[in-house]
Amino acid sequence: MVILPLIQTFRYSFTNYDGLSPEYDFVGLENYRKTLNSEQLIEPFIRTLGFSLVVPLLVTVMAIPLALVLNGRFKTRNFQRASFFFPAVLSALFLGYSWTFILSSSKYGMINALLEKFGFGRQLLLADSDLAMWLIVLVVVWSQVGWHACLYLANLQTIDPALLEAADIDGASAFQRFRFITLPHLTPAMTVSVALLIIGSLKVFDLPIAMTEGGPGRSTIMMTQSIIIQGLSSSRVGLASAMSFLFFLVIAVITFTQVTLMSRQGDEN
Amino acid sequence: MRRYTARTLVGEITMLVVCGVFLIPIYFLVVSSFKTQPEILRSPLGLPESIDFANYGEALEGINFFHHLWISVYITTISVVLIVVFGSMAAYTIARKTNRLTKFLRNYFLIGFMVPIQTTMLPLFIIMGDLNLLNTKKGLIFLHSAGAVFALFLYTGFIRAMPRDLEEAAAVDGAGQFRIFWKIVFPLLKPVTATVSIFNFVWVWNDFILGFLFLGTTDNATLTMQVYNGMGQFENDWSIMIPMLIITALPIVIFFLVMQKRIIGGLIAGSLKG
Repeated sequence: MVILPLIQTFRYSFTNYDGLSPEYDFVGLENYRKTLNSEQLIEPFIRTLGFSLVVPLLVTVMAIPLALVLNGRFKTRNFQRASFFFPAVLSALFLGYSWTFILSSSKYGMINALLEKFGFGRQLLLADSDLAMWLIVLVVVWSQVGWHACLYLANLQTIDPALLEAADIDGASAFQRFRFITLPHLTPAMTVSVALLIIGSLKVFDLPIAMTEGGPGRSTIMMTQSIIIQGLSSSRVGLASAMSFLFFLVIAVITFTQVTLMSRQGDEN
Repeated sequence: MRRYTARTLVGEITMLVVCGVFLIPIYFLVVSSFKTQPEILRSPLGLPESIDFANYGEALEGINFFHHLWISVYITTISVVLIVVFGSMAAYTIARKTNRLTKFLRNYFLIGFMVPIQTTMLPLFIIMGDLNLLNTKKGLIFLHSAGAVFALFLYTGFIRAMPRDLEEAAAVDGAGQFRIFWKIVFPLLKPVTATVSIFNFVWVWNDFILGFLFLGTTDNATLTMQVYNGMGQFENDWSIMIPMLIITALPIVIFFLVMQKRIIGGLIAGSLKG
């Protein structure tokens, strides 16, 4: 169910198959050349790569401090954990659409309604092609940060409190305790979390569809949508297969690096 | 443990405020669902002037809510059962018998786990068409059951850490493989089964891309897909769209509120072993 289609994707990627006619020609590397040379095709690829760099970075930088706080001695911490975790159980489609009401360029959008109320001008927000991608990043970070904080929380609970206390008595500053005790304990969670974030971001599809449908213009078309447009809507299966295969190579390299890193970590412990 | 001081209290209150700000988008959605558009303009974040469920009724009917709720429940339940059954049985064999075949299978599944649906969707589309499984519920269930691969890895880790004594004793008493698994091993796997079921339930329930590609926008659409269809149908009519969004999210929100401890606890426990 997985390997057979993968081989077929690879085979189609050298042909001009359109998904319908039984006859098609072998075109060599033409599809790959087209993908890499066409601005329209390479743009979603680069955008997706950038997105997969920015999102994991932002989520990680925010999830670790959040996990530290949620691990604290607050009485309402279960409520707080649940609040931050909550967006993760909702479908990306739901989240995307909900945020379109908040970030809508019309005067009824939450941000614009607030801006107008306090006498500022209305903003384009999601209709602004320079801003739209960043707003999608914002929503992804918002929806993921709590879930990933819970991953870190698991690791935080393995730290022996006596260790931190001893360091405290020895005169280590809060930063030193974090840097030399807490952070090393978080590496297992970090490998898992970052890998999940990178792979999830590379595959992103639902959320941009719900928020912008790839617009304004082509400014938020991601890799998956681009493959679907070429392969299913425009019947260029050969071309889309080449794109899919390039995409697979990127994911394979990342997964392979991840597995190697994890097994090396396993050896150390 | 340090004492609960005044500083902790300040920290706690600060965090509660942060939680509040964090959840404002959800709050805005809920209060807006009871407001008219002029009312949204007048007080974007205020409480609604009156509570009227008429729009909710219209939204329920507009997207044929109960019909599609049933489809979602049907597809999700069967998929999760298949995932648990196949995932746990395969994991048992892979964890307990080490020979070349099981090693090969493990790596084979690992590749399957790595390959994203984006890479295989075009040939899959053609294969599913040839098998007459396009736009059918069983076709989608078939695809979702591939989630068993993830379950397999969780189960394998857990079974490896389990002592073999009980199984060996049962084998001496003459119990067959199948009976040993279902009567002895499977009940012991309960914590993993809980984690696997909950996570797959949420994933299958919220899936959009598989449904979008392989069910189309037909009568068979799941509730998540109805959100997409409904958004097209009620274009720009916020008074119906917002209630529609809320009712489609309700089942999973209720699921979360009921299972909250298990979900977060399961994530924390699961990631410790992984």
